[in-house]
Amino acid sequence: MNELSRAQIRDLMAQVVRNQGRVLPDDDSTDLREIGFRSLDFSELALRVEDATGEELNFDAPGLRRIATVGDVLDFLAELQRQ
Amino acid sequence: MSDSPPVPASTVVLVSGGSRGLGLAIVTDLLDAGLTVAAFARTVTPELEKLADAYPDRVHVGAVDVTDLAAAQRFLRAVEARFGPVDGLVNNAAVGQDSMHTHTATADIARIVETNLTAPLQLTRLVARRMLGQGRRGRIVNVTSICAQRGFPGLVAYSATKGGMDAATRSLARELGGRMLVNAVAPGFFASEMSAVLGSTQLDQIVRRTPTGHLTEPAEVVPVVRMLLCAHTNINGQVIVVDGAASI
Ligand SMILES: NC(=O)c1ccc[n+]([C@@H]2O[C@H](COP(=O)([O-])OP(=O)(O)OC[C@H]3O[C@@H](n4cnc5c(N)ncnc54)[C@H](OP(=O)(O)O)[C@@H]3O)[C@@H](O)[C@H]2O)c1
Repeated sequence: MNELSRAQIRDLMAQVVRNQGRVLPDDDSTDLREIGFRSLDFSELALRVEDATGEELNFDAPGLRRIATVGDVLDFLAELQRQ
Repeated sequence: MSDSPPVPASTVVLVSGGSRGLGLAIVTDLLDAGLTVAAFARTVTPELEKLADAYPDRVHVGAVDVTDLAAAQRFLRAVEARFGPVDGLVNNAAVGQDSMHTHTATADIARIVETNLTAPLQLTRLVARRMLGQGRRGRIVNVTSICAQRGFPGLVAYSATKGGMDAATRSLARELGGRMLVNAVAPGFFASEMSAVLGSTQLDQIVRRTPTGHLTEPAEVVPVVRMLLCAHTNINGQVIVVDGAASI
């Protein structure tokens, strides 16, 4: 499978955030609320990762609710690709 | 249309998903009320087993997957062989959901629709055929949900199935022309294995928006189910919401 690295996912996340006129901070511990990154933005990012890898990424909402920081997003998607 | 006599109270009731949560509460309540009850789920829990031991002459339990039509039919025949005709059905078994529609696997959508919509329609057909074929009258209660009437994120396929059952309730009530009373009970969120996926923030939010100030309890739903199965009323084709006015 064509798996994206954490850095590649970060680039895609930066694009999603940039499209909304914001900048993705370098600090992985940034709270998602600070950059207004919501569940639909997460969905958009996951679908971009899907596009790049050709693999569907499905997940439950409880997993999503535990995500609070930029680093959490990257870890979650990196892990999800491996499942 | 000619005058038809009232549909009598149910005496032998089949409850799908009677092993825990609301289903188990319904089974317990109907037994307390003196009815004979047949209940199934994929796994028979110790709680359901205990009821079967406590009321050996009035309870029939079994491990049946509601999506397995042949198994459901075998169960129904076994119940009839033991207790006589089934004249009440509670379509309670269902699976929940907590995932964005875009990220719910297609197989999961199919499973939700099959369990919550196709299977109860098939079970209803089976039971209604038995009742009609024997010239009997009876009652059907579909357990749906407030999700059929109000939008909730993470519950798209689930809501669609519950809305489908609400719609089927109305058409069945018309089609079965007074031979059967067909109604639905639509609870608000209550604590159970199904709703355990909801976060505490979501549950707090629901409670804050509920004028009665608490989540619906199964004990607050079962009297409505019993009334629809047993009381002499002219309620037919209705969806009764039990949610403390949270959705009003
Ligand atoms: N909880 C809520 O907040 C809420 C709100 C509104 C409406 N409702 C509705 O209330 C009803 C009961 O929900 P609950 O919260 O009590 O759920 P629950 O605790 O998850 O119980 C569901 C029951 O259905 C059975 N079941 C599930 N899939 C089945 C299958 N394929 N074949 C046979 N049995 C199956 C389960 O047993 P097995 O898993 O062993 O099969 C269990 O007995 C459902 O119709 C639900 O949609 C619930």
